[in-house]
This record gives sequence, C-alpha cells and structure tokens, in this order.
Amino acid sequence: MAGQMVLSEDEALELVAFLVTAARTQVDEAAEYGSLRLLTAAGRLAELIAERVSPETRTFLTGPLKQIPDLAVRTADPAGYVTALDAVCRAVAEHLVTYFGLDRKRS
Amino acid sequence: MTNPVLEAIRMRRMTRALTDEPIARSELEEVLKAARWAPSAGNRRLHRFIAIQDPLTLKLLRMVSPGMFQRPAAVVVICIDRAKAESFGMRPNAKGLFVDVGTAAQTMLLAAHSLGLGAGVVTSFSQAAASAVLNVPEGLSPEMFICLGHAAPTQPRGMPTRGPVTWQSLTQWERFKGS
Repeated sequence: MAGQMVLSEDEALELVAFLVTAARTQVDEAAEYGSLRLLTAAGRLAELIAERVSPETRTFLTGPLKQIPDLAVRTADPAGYVTALDAVCRAVAEHLVTYFGLDRKRS
Repeated sequence: MTNPVLEAIRMRRMTRALTDEPIARSELEEVLKAARWAPSAGNRRLHRFIAIQDPLTLKLLRMVSPGMFQRPAAVVVICIDRAKAESFGMRPNAKGLFVDVGTAAQTMLLAAHSLGLGAGVVTSFSQAAASAVLNVPEGLSPEMFICLGHAAPTQPRGMPTRGPVTWQSLTQWERFKGS
C-alpha cells in the first residue's frame, strides 16, 4: 500500500482550483454538467497519480475509469449514461474491495 | 453549391485536443485581425481581446477553467467593455453584448480554421478567477476563450446531438402555422 504517496503542491493546487471554479461555473450551467465535471476531476486526479500507484490501481485508473468519454452527458442517452456510470461505480467498489483486502478478511 | 467560404464553414470543428506545437505570433495576429472585422451591433465595438501565449499564464488560466479540456498554445479572451457599454446607455445584460461575443468568436474560429489551426471555445471558467489571473481591469468582463493550437490526430468524441440536426429541422419558413 502506497501510504506515503502524495500529490506535489503544484498538482494539488491544480485540482483544488478545478474543483473550486467548477463549483462556481456549475451555478450557471446545465445540471448534467455536474457529473461531467466530477468525472473530469476524477480523470485528472487519475492522470496525476497513475505513475505512482500499484499496478492494480493503475489498471483500474486506465481501464474502467476511462470508459466514459470526456464529453459524455446524460441527455443524449439517459439510460446508457446511468448504466455506464453504474459500471464505473461497480468497478471502483470491486477495486476497493481487492485493494483494501476486504475479500481476504476473515469474518 | 460550394465555395471556399462555405467549405470552411462546413469543415470547421471544435478542437478539444491540441498538440504541444506552438503557434506563430503572426498566426495569432491574423486571428485577431479577423476579429476586428466581426459584425458589431451599431458598430460600437464594445469588446476587447486579451491574447495569451505565455505558458505559465496559459497553465493558470486552464486551472480555473473547468471546461478547458485542451492544453492550448494560445488563448484569445473575449471581454466585454462594460464601462464603454454603459456609456452608450446599454444595460449590463443587453443581448447585443453577448451576440457580439458570438460573432467575434465565430469569426476567429473560421480564421483559425483557414490557417490550418485547431480552435475551440470555452465558456466554463470562473470569471472572477480568470480576471485575477489576467489582471483584468475593472469594467472589463471576460466572457469567452478561444483556445488555439494544432489539432491532435485523435480528438475526444464531441458532444452528441439530441437527434438528427439538419438545416431544415432548424428552420421555419415564413411563419408558424396556427394550431
């Protein structure tokens, strides 16, 4: 487990700036952009850490997390969009279970 | 029917992925010269442009622009000169101010396309933060970015249309029929 891994100050500031300014732009923009911005932030964080994480996490970051196109929004295909988001959420959870060893824990 | 202008209008696309290759100052100036000829309500010219090529300024501008997917080699910021608009008796949200942002933007997009550059617009940015980064004086408001550079070979899939779009589907001839 890479407990010491942290973002550089430059990288963290970039992400903080994105999140704060997205909070402001979202006030004026279409509601469906909310999910878009959160996925963009997740994607940028993934890019920043991809080279420093475990091979398993890297596989998740470069695989399931990248399945939703950068500019995808809900209105074009509401059901398909939700299905794709659910698939990513499921993949996140499955990776968490493996990464933190929940599947190896004895009850 | 076709001609070079119609062809440029049809072939231009929003460019969301750009290469690291810089663009020449002369190319940027050509884009700005074109903007000078954009239609302007009442020929009042209430817009100002900020042209940016400095890498650090571009980096910080991108940090406060959630809608900026590309990493541009240059950006032109279209600002409304609100103090000048007020001097004409225009209300802050008068539609002409924003229409003219659009005419300037489309003119620059076509100019960039004609020069072989990739270009895309960004409106998803914090005006307050962008103003701070660019030291924009009071009375000017940044409204739209034109991101410029060289198009990357692979582009992200664009925003999908909500159903087929044709010029006919967008047009009503003469007047709407009563129900």
